Formats: sequence, structure tokens, C-alpha cells
Amino acid sequence: MIKRAFRRIAWAVLVVWATTTVTFFINNVLPSDPARMVAGAQARPKDVERIRQQLGLDKPVLEQYGRFMRRLVHFGPSHIEKKDPEHGTCANAGPLHFDLGKSYQQRRAVTTILGERFPRTLMLAIAAVLVQTLIGVFTGLIAAVKRNTAIDHLTVGASLVGISAPTFIIGLLLQFVLAHRLRLLPLDGFGDTVLDHMVSIILPALTLGIYGAAYYTRIVRDELIGSIKQDHVRTARAKGLPMWRVWLKHALRNALVPLVTLIGLDLGALVGGAIVTETLFRWPGLGALSVSALLDRDGPVIMGTVIVSSAAIVLANLLVDVSYAVLDPRVRR
Amino acid sequence: MRSIRKKIEIALVASWALACREPPAPPFPAGGATAPVRGGELHLASAFDIKSLDPAVASDVLTSETVELMFAGLVDFDESGHVVPDLAERFERSEDGMTYRFFLREGLKFHDGSPLTAAECKRSIDRALSPDTPSSFAAFYNRIVGFEEYNEKKTSSHLEGVVVEGERVLAIRLREPDAAFLPAFAMQALRPVCPSAGDKYEDTWAPCGAGPFKLDSWDRGRGLRLVRFDGWWKPGQPSLDAITYSFGMNLVTQRFKLEQGDIDIDRELTTPDTFRYQGDPRWKPLGGYDVIPSIGGEELNVEMAPFDNIEVRRAVAAAIDREQFRMVKSSALVALNRVIVPVLGGDDPTFPAQKYDYAAALEHMKRAGFPYDPATGTGGWPKPVTYPIYKQGLFESTAQVIQQQLAKIGLRIEIKIVSYPTYLMMTKRRGAVAIAPASWSQDFPDASDFFESLFATSAINDEDSNNGAFYSNPKLDELLVRGRKELDPGVRKSIYDEADAIVCDEAPWAMEYQYRFYGVHQPYVRELRWSAVWSNYVRDVWIDKPAKHARRAATSRDALGSLLGALR
Repeated sequence: MIKRAFRRIAWAVLVVWATTTVTFFINNVLPSDPARMVAGAQARPKDVERIRQQLGLDKPVLEQYGRFMRRLVHFGPSHIEKKDPEHGTCANAGPLHFDLGKSYQQRRAVTTILGERFPRTLMLAIAAVLVQTLIGVFTGLIAAVKRNTAIDHLTVGASLVGISAPTFIIGLLLQFVLAHRLRLLPLDGFGDTVLDHMVSIILPALTLGIYGAAYYTRIVRDELIGSIKQDHVRTARAKGLPMWRVWLKHALRNALVPLVTLIGLDLGALVGGAIVTETLFRWPGLGALSVSALLDRDGPVIMGTVIVSSAAIVLANLLVDVSYAVLDPRVRR
Repeated sequence: MRSIRKKIEIALVASWALACREPPAPPFPAGGATAPVRGGELHLASAFDIKSLDPAVASDVLTSETVELMFAGLVDFDESGHVVPDLAERFERSEDGMTYRFFLREGLKFHDGSPLTAAECKRSIDRALSPDTPSSFAAFYNRIVGFEEYNEKKTSSHLEGVVVEGERVLAIRLREPDAAFLPAFAMQALRPVCPSAGDKYEDTWAPCGAGPFKLDSWDRGRGLRLVRFDGWWKPGQPSLDAITYSFGMNLVTQRFKLEQGDIDIDRELTTPDTFRYQGDPRWKPLGGYDVIPSIGGEELNVEMAPFDNIEVRRAVAAAIDREQFRMVKSSALVALNRVIVPVLGGDDPTFPAQKYDYAAALEHMKRAGFPYDPATGTGGWPKPVTYPIYKQGLFESTAQVIQQQLAKIGLRIEIKIVSYPTYLMMTKRRGAVAIAPASWSQDFPDASDFFESLFATSAINDEDSNNGAFYSNPKLDELLVRGRKELDPGVRKSIYDEADAIVCDEAPWAMEYQYRFYGVHQPYVRELRWSAVWSNYVRDVWIDKPAKHARRAATSRDALGSLLGALR
């Protein structure tokens, strides 16, 4: 068991490293000039050249990669001074330092930027997954219980709406109706207090949640319809258990196993940033950051967001494996 | 299944159409005050973000808009683009045009309360032009005595040509006369910064200057808030208590917020929204255009076939129907057929500008050796020419118009969509692109900025070439050197007119349009100026709101937010 866990963790590290390396080289071979993006489209060549040197972009790509990897995880002092030229851009856990360099555009440590953005994206990801799970399981259950009735058709039809409409359409509609016309919620933003955050998160979480819930509804419905025909459920019904208990305790538990995989993967993907939704609702998370970094060719920020995203997905996969073992005893054997 | 999908699509289209209805009336009326009222907070928004608030490195439009409010200069521009005194009560130029002397006002102070003296101005200039500062504008000041030794060779510890001649007198010496120095100096890069900025640029410095507003808070990626600086040199000014910017706000949300009264000026309108507001009598008087000079057109690489042939370039210049082109985005484009835009003096109807003349275009193609027969569609340049554009820009819309117009003279262009950074790199690299759409916004309001950047031989580089046409003409170069040194405005104008005539004739660019930004504001926003230099020129704005509406909160008044706020 321990050997297996170590193997999985080693694979996870390898995957993150490979993703990081591939991204680094793709970012560097793209025909574009980050120094020009910093200096502006109209800057004079001498100014662009000076900025290129200041950013270290005049060095060979392999040298840049070597420096990036050396700095990524290293050891240093446990206490970091902001103005320390060697470690000022590091985040640390005791003497263990993580350094992604400085954003070309914002001229701040990437670890600081990610530190600001990551909790907001995590908050949105958890809220969205919560919304899509609650809606998906509830509607899936209703559709299965009332299968082949008008309610079932309505639920399946509604889920088709969710699957068909891209998030920006759902988001715009929700924004228009709930925020602009009815004035129930703020149009966008993050707010300044915890209460503000709670109110502001509703629209983006609903947007992502409705989109995701559409898939969950169909999966839960199909799994439940399959489960209800199984022997152990039939036995439970024969024992005279109330139907709600049969559905919830005996059928739903089995139906949730495939859903766990999806929830884990969705959470991992959303932690990488919900690009469209964050941009639409001005949610200051990793998604909006990735877009601007890509458009500006801000290499250090691109690397930072890719590392966080890939680590989140790898971690989510690990958690899915663990939860499988909890939910399905056969996996433990 | 198909019918359900169809219904969904109809529902979505209907909802979208609902959003595109006629605009509602402005949410709050004007109060009717006749003199400026002190107080109130102005709310602005942008789809973009600012990267730095240090004037030494600020380079994008939105940043310069905020820097303009926070950092005053010795001189500034008025709304027409003329240089006027600001922190300096007056300035003078020596007779040889090689020394500028600025006399500072008495009792000037920075936001942190420290005195603003000539020595502080020199420190700020030395800091901005230091070789360690990642400035995008240092090259503009290379005529200051000692620039090379200080910024390039690094053999001098300070800029020799910037001299403190007294507590309130600063002199700047140039190595040759420079008629464009003053407008370049009025830009923001060299503006005085508080002593806390020190002698060297630091990323961690908290922005502090001597402008009418000072920084209250800045949340990166979200917004910033400026508050009035009561120590500003103009007594009783500015009128506003504060200005709040929200960044990264998409255009539809900006419109919703304008109509709800949550933002006060919307300058980033979509084309349909521009027409909606222009067509509504309640909003029309509240709109206006920024007239910041810029030019747009086709950059024709004179080193690459077929544009190495002057007749082909002339054919392109004559084949472009600028009026048809303008209709692609008529809310923003003004047809343009020469380099010097009207606001910089290019308004002479007799000037030999480029013009649409289809017969002449065909004749030029014939002279070039590529005759084209429109009746049969045969002839012309035999190979397709790659035409790079980037997504989500104006070029995405105009490319097809150009493709059609040039096809009529036998030039077939193949549109290639790339990212914006790739587009920039390709179009500035020697031998990479034969034809590309291009534009140039003034760095400072002077004809030299356009000519020297785009058409001078000195602006050619193998990489990062601002002269993307790689056009070189010794006669034009000589005119540009003369124009830069000439101090007599009348003589100078005739020099640049001559330069413009050469460019129009030899056509390294086929000029097409000038871009304008339309904006609307709330009725209670007073003294908003549509400037020829700065976007959102709100320095002198005051709020004239009826008393019953004056207490509108700063945030959106949504029901749930209000309820939770009340429970708090």
C-alpha cells in the first residue's frame, strides 16, 4: 500500500514537471517578444532591447530554463526580506523556498500574485462544484424516480439546455436577469468584505454550477435507473423499506461512485481557473490572470498558473483514487 | 431532440435581443448648479488593467490616464494638445533652441507633504532615465546633453544636461535644437516623484507624486481609488473628493452599470451600443469623441515583392476606397488620406493626398508590369500575398474589405490570423511580411512623432523595426532632421507638408483612417473634456447631482447585498 502511494506521488511529481517543462519551451519558441509586450507596441528598439536585457530574455533558452528549475524549489533563509535581491520573490515553508520569479508586466513576485489569486479561485471552484453537485444529484434523482414522466422529460430537457449553452451565455443571461433587471445580485466583482464575497460569488458559481449540473443530472439519472434494478436494491424493497430510503441509501450510494470521479476532476480543472466565467464576472482569480498573462506573454505568470493547474489536477486525481477506496471496498483489495 | 435544441436556440436569441433593447433614460438627472460643486466620487471602469503607477515606466493608455491624475508635470497639455505651464508657472526657450528653463511655482508640495523643488525634479528625471529603469520612453530624451554617457555608456552618475539653477529654477540643455522637446517633456515619464522614490527605480515603491489626486488604495487586477490632494497648487481644485476605477470589466457589464448609475462615464462601448446612445435623444447630448491623433492603414514592405515596386504601392494607395472602409466601423473611423491628421494641421483640402481612383490604380498595376483585366479577372500579381492580422481587433473586420478592394486590381491577399504578440513580432521583423494592417497613435502631439517613427531610415531595424515598411528615402530623412530642428512653426509646417507629400506619393503606407473613441457620461458629470492627448480627461470634472440622489452608495445596490448589509 505504501509502495503504491509513493509510486503515485512520484508519478504526480513527474507529470507536473513534464507539464512545466513543455510549457516553458512552448512559451519560449512562440514567435513573440515579451520585452516588446512590456515596452508597448510603439516603444523604440533601444528601449525594448534594454528591457529585454533587464528581464534576462537575451540569454539562451536553455540557460533560462536551467535558472528557472534551479530557482523553482531551493533552500534559503527561513525569514525572507522583501528587498532581498536573491530571495525577495520567494515563497517559503521554513528553509524550503519556491520561486517563480517576477511577473514581467506587474513587476511583482509571481508567488505573491498566485497567493492573492489562488484562494479566490479555490473559493469559486468549491462553490461551483457544490452547486453543480447539489443541483445535479437532486434533479438526477427526481428524473430517475419519475422516469418516463413529464417531470423526467422536463429535467432531461433542462439538462440539455445546460449542456448546449456555453458558460458565457448562461452567465450573461443570469447577469442580465438577476443582476441588471431584478437587481437581486451584484453585476460582477469580488467585494471587500466576507459578506460581499458571499453575495458576489453567487452568480459565477451558479453559472459554472448550472453548466456542470447538466452533466451530473444525466449521469445520476442513468446510474440510478441502472442501480434500482440490481439485486441488493430489489432485496431492500422486498424487505419493505420505504421507497425514499431505498432510493437514497441503497441506489444513490452506488450511483455516486462515478460522480466522485467527475467531481474530483471538475474541482481540479476549476482550480486551474474558470477563464470565461471569471472574466465575465470580474472574479479576480487564476482564470482571469491566465488570460492576461497569455495575451501579454508574461512567461513567469504563465508558468505559475500552469504549475498550479497541473498540480491541482494531479492532486484531484489522487483524491479521487483515495475516495474510491472509501466508497468501494473492492478497490481496497 | 432537434426541436428541443431549436427551441433552446430561439430562447437564447430572444434573451440576447432583450439585452439589446433601447437604452433606458439616464438614471439620475443633473442638479442644475451653475458653479462647480465640491465633493462627490466619480466612478470609472475599463476592460483593461494597469500594470504600474510609476510614471517612469507607465506605457499603456489606461495607466497614463491614472498617472495623469496623480503626477503633475512642470508642463502639461491643454485639451487641444498645446503645451501649457503646470507645476512651472512659466518656461522659456533660449534663442538657439538648445536650453529650456522652467520656473516652478512657489510652495509646491508632494502628496507626502515634502517640498517640491528643482532638485527634486532633477532627481526624478535622473531616476526615470537611469539605465536601470525599465522605461519605454527613454529614447525620446536622447537629445539632452549627457544622455548617452548616462543612459547608454553608463560613464556618468547623473544627467549632465539637467541643471538645478536655483531652488525653483530647472534648466534642461540639449545638444541640438529640438522643436519637439517640449511636447515630449510634457508627457508623463519625467514627472516629479516623491523623495520616497529615491534615486533608483524600485518595483516596490508606493506611487506618490504632486498631481491633483493621490493614491488611496490599489487592488491589483480589480481597481484603484484616488482621493483629492488638498495641497495641489490650484486653490480650490480639484472638485471631486475621489475617483474610483474598476478594472477588467467587460463591455456589456460596463453598459449595464452605466444604465444603473454605478459608473459615470463609459468610454469603451461596442459599436451597436455607440449607435444606441448616439440615436437616443436623452443620451446624445451626453456623448463625445476623444480626438487623440492616430493613423491607420496598410504597411507596404518596400523590400519585399511586389511592394518593392513603387507602382504597385501607388496602385494599392489608389485602390483603397476609404469611405467604404470607414463604414466597417463608422462609429469610430474617420477616413484619412495623409500622415498629418487634421488636429495636427493636416486639414488643407488642396494637399496632394492619397485618394481613391480605381482607373489610376489599374494604370499603376499596368506600369508595374502586372496589368489586370477586371472584366476577365486575369492578370495582376501572380502569387497570393500573406496578410497577418490578430483576433479581436479592428483588423479582423477590415481585412476582408481590403482583401476585396485589392482583388479588384489583381492583388490577392491571404489573411492569416495570429496572436497579437506574434503579429507585433512579424510586422516588425525584416523580410517577414510584405503587407500588413498597421496603426500608430501619437506618443506626443507633434508631426515628427509619426514621421520619425514610421518613415525615417533611422527607425529601421532587423528586429523591432517601428518602420515596418522598411522605407528609406534620403530626401525625407533630410527633411525630418530639418523639421526637428526648425523652431519657426510656419517653416516647420511647410517642411512636414513636403515630407507628407513624399510619403503619400511613394506610398510605404496606404493611409486609411483615424480612430476615435466615443464615450457617454451621466448628466450630472460636468466639465468632462474630450482631450486631444489624454483619454478620460477628468481632472476638472465636478458632480452636479440633485440632493435626493447625492447619497447613492459606491457599490451596486443589489437587493441581496443590501439585505445582508442591513443584517450585518
